[in-house]
Amino acid sequence: MKCVILAAGEGKRVHPLTYTRPKVMLPIANKPIIEWNLKNAINAGFKEFIFVVAYKSEMVRNYFGRGEKWGIKIEYINQGEALGTAHAVGMVEKFVGDFVVLSGDTIFGKQDIKNILDNKNCMGLVNVEVAKDYGTVEMKDKNILKIHEKMESPDTNTINAGIYHFNKKIFDYIRKTKKSIRGEYEITDSINMMFKDKKLEGIFLKEWKDVVYPWHLIDANEEILKKIDKKIKGNIEKNTTIKGDVIIGKNTTIMAGSYIEGPVVIGENCKIGPNCYIRAYTSIGNNCHVGNACEVKNSIIMDGTNIPHQNYVGDSVLGQNCNLGAGSKVANLRLDKKNITVVLNGEKVDTKRRKLGVIMGDNVQTGINSMMNVGTTIGNNVFIGPGAFATGEIKPDTIIR
Amino acid sequence: MCGIIGYIGYRDAKQVGIDCLKRLEYRGYDSAGISVLDKIQQVYKEVGEIKELEKNLPDIKGNISINHSRWATHGKVTKENAHPHLSTNKKIAIVHNGIIENFRKLKEELITKGYKFTSQTDSEVIAHLIEDNYKGDLEKAVYSALKKIEGYYAILVTSSDEPDKIVGARKDSPLVIGVGDNENFLASDIPAFLKYTNRVIYLNDGEICSISSKDVKIYDSNNNVVERHEDIIKWDFKDAEKSGFAHFMLKEIFDQKDTVTYVIRGRISEIDRKIEFHENVENLLKSELDLINIVACGTSYYAGLVGKYFIEKLTDIPVVVELASEYRYFGPKKENSLVILITQSGETLDTLAALKEAKASGCKTLVITNVIGSSATRLSDSYILTQSGPEIGVAATKTFTAQVITLFLIALKIGLNRNKIGLDEVSKNILELKELPKIVRDVLEKSNDILEIAKQLKNAKSVFFIGRGINYPLALEGALKLKEISYIHAEGFAAGELKHGPFALLTETTPVVAIATKDSTYDKILANIGEVKARGSKVLAIADEADTEIEKHADLVLRYPSNSDLLSCIPIIVILQLLAYHVANLNGCSIDKPRNLAKSVTVE
Repeated sequence: MKCVILAAGEGKRVHPLTYTRPKVMLPIANKPIIEWNLKNAINAGFKEFIFVVAYKSEMVRNYFGRGEKWGIKIEYINQGEALGTAHAVGMVEKFVGDFVVLSGDTIFGKQDIKNILDNKNCMGLVNVEVAKDYGTVEMKDKNILKIHEKMESPDTNTINAGIYHFNKKIFDYIRKTKKSIRGEYEITDSINMMFKDKKLEGIFLKEWKDVVYPWHLIDANEEILKKIDKKIKGNIEKNTTIKGDVIIGKNTTIMAGSYIEGPVVIGENCKIGPNCYIRAYTSIGNNCHVGNACEVKNSIIMDGTNIPHQNYVGDSVLGQNCNLGAGSKVANLRLDKKNITVVLNGEKVDTKRRKLGVIMGDNVQTGINSMMNVGTTIGNNVFIGPGAFATGEIKPDTIIR
Repeated sequence: MCGIIGYIGYRDAKQVGIDCLKRLEYRGYDSAGISVLDKIQQVYKEVGEIKELEKNLPDIKGNISINHSRWATHGKVTKENAHPHLSTNKKIAIVHNGIIENFRKLKEELITKGYKFTSQTDSEVIAHLIEDNYKGDLEKAVYSALKKIEGYYAILVTSSDEPDKIVGARKDSPLVIGVGDNENFLASDIPAFLKYTNRVIYLNDGEICSISSKDVKIYDSNNNVVERHEDIIKWDFKDAEKSGFAHFMLKEIFDQKDTVTYVIRGRISEIDRKIEFHENVENLLKSELDLINIVACGTSYYAGLVGKYFIEKLTDIPVVVELASEYRYFGPKKENSLVILITQSGETLDTLAALKEAKASGCKTLVITNVIGSSATRLSDSYILTQSGPEIGVAATKTFTAQVITLFLIALKIGLNRNKIGLDEVSKNILELKELPKIVRDVLEKSNDILEIAKQLKNAKSVFFIGRGINYPLALEGALKLKEISYIHAEGFAAGELKHGPFALLTETTPVVAIATKDSTYDKILANIGEVKARGSKVLAIADEADTEIEKHADLVLRYPSNSDLLSCIPIIVILQLLAYHVANLNGCSIDKPRNLAKSVTVE
């Protein structure tokens, strides 16, 4: 059976990180989200995959190739336009029989994928605390009666998790699906039509982590890092402290005076230290540098980024190939301890977090002693001048003086 | 500029075909058609917009289609003349962008062999010719058929005998392969399929390719297999129409290497030494004429001034060029006169008003425009299209050169009609026209040199442009380009007029651009340059490549490749356009949408 992974979306709500990559290629614990799904699906027994791609599809293709590295087979389908989930699933009609399809930007667990694989005609469900941002489901016994669109005050906490086991019948209903109010062809509309003739069983998932906004990457990163085991391939100098589960990639050097509190993952070819403090739930990509008198906490640092001299980075996501000037610091807590709001694509969003630093796109440079306020989003190729104060939403290619 | 698209894969080929056609709409269209292959060739055509075709399409199934949007050059705009065309046995379908020069001879031969033609197009011969050469291998049949064809083409061919492939070929017309997964594309331009894939393989002139849903094969002109790598298109979907250029204006300046060919396509015949227009136009140009009025606004008016020079040089008819807003009220409207109205959009209000006035007075009216179906084409006795594709930048560039070339063709045609020029002269001019793409390309390659000179002009408060003869309207147009996009005050003057007033404005900080071609007034323009230099102004000369004298007189020199006296105006204007563009860009101006200006001026 083939596993179809939907990987076409741009992820506008994950700007500025998705200006330069598709949403499924956002890294969590140094692997793209979609790779976690791929690995879990392989472990659940899948050998053949179809990736439905579109936005910056070459990045997915360049990373995964035909799947040789994972010993499986990957085919690609270009969705063309993002016309909705029903449209995306409809793309694969000619290439599947019974199949499992899942959203590539949500992380599903291995056992859950296996349960979906083992049950014909089913879909994954999950209970959440606040259901109003999701499609909730109405059930009778094990079967689903209806999937509701986002409602203001749903009377259930059970939501559609975004993983399904279909047979070819679904394509009949996809063809009949009309555009929704959002202007997209939604797979939930197709499924609701199908319920008249055919039932889907609801399967509750144990592991489920979706990424809607960029700060959800920090949560997902924490979840995954909780499960890692210690594995050190790099060179560790004398007088370093490494506590807990820490992964250190090959050719990475941890220099004297570095203090690392796991769980932490550090990629290959990095230079860490001397005299730095890396705290729990931090992922540092390949070819990075964390230098003297720097502290990094609960953050994702992507490949090629330098935090070299007297910096503080907490509860943040830093894109690829960024460089912080000496003394550049990130604020991550409001003095009044209130929730931090972020301006995203011009709209204010309550992050529900008391601690959040910055969300920084690729190729950002900061000058010495520059400051970044809590919840600042910084577009790619931004230049923050010496001593400047960055706050709010900073569009790509701008200069802050 | 017709557009062609081929699709083979797993999607609904009808849907993809229509979708891609819409993305080539910018190339212009008067009719469109599609053939979806599913056991048989299911062909549907419609006159008008692609929307019309889409609306009238039944639910045809199939995963292979060839599609075409037509901008007529041969034959009227009718359903029959729209592509795709079928072979006599209805198995082979073709779409074609280009012109088959020897189609009359081929058509006669094929008719003798019993092939049945249903349209007046040159393209249809390709379908029958492929059938005639078909011996069970479509690639080979296309290869043999193309050996017999003279002209230029990009074609796509499908056959119900081999329903798993599309064969494509190109010579002097564009065709590019879009490489997908389990699907492949062929199209005139990348934006057609960019939504579905950004992996492309460029096809070279003379090559034939065959695509199936799984692979792509390319053969050179000797039928040997060619290996070619894929390129990834980096521009964003939304920038597709700019083809990666920073501004539409710059793209359109660069388009001129092609548009100078598009405008003469189907209109010149090197072998017969003929200039051909649509029958209605030919009748107008043949008629009794005492006077030609050229009426236009803005850049089109300056094209008209260049046209006056051509027509008076090559014919015996006097030409009066008038601004539309003046002519409509005050201009002479005599019965035995031809009024040529020039408007890029075909909707310029002043020009339309002048057109109505001229018609009401019994003048013959001929419109030169870039937009088929525009008001001007409907109101006039006849019209000639500049075939340049849409021009988005407010400052006209490629349509100016196309208008100038159209006027040149008109001058040649009238000159021939009235025996004022001989076939040899026509032949020489046709060869010179055919060299224009190369000459324009040479100028475009110097864009960076022009940028360096633009750096020296960018802080000027005021710039003067001077020229004599045909170069006078070029000076006016050069000044207009600079002022409208860079907001620098610029004026064009007839070089001899400087001393009658404008000298008073010259200072050390007023650069002067002097167009110095090696014609009968060359010495005079050198003298004018001397006068200007005496006032301490810096002189930028635009001069012939072979000119070794000019350095002694001017401070800066930009050169154009020499070609002919009359057509040197084309490379010169491209230099002036690039100069204006770079100055404006250095000053950070809103180049595609200058302040206070609109592309199509539909108010008085």
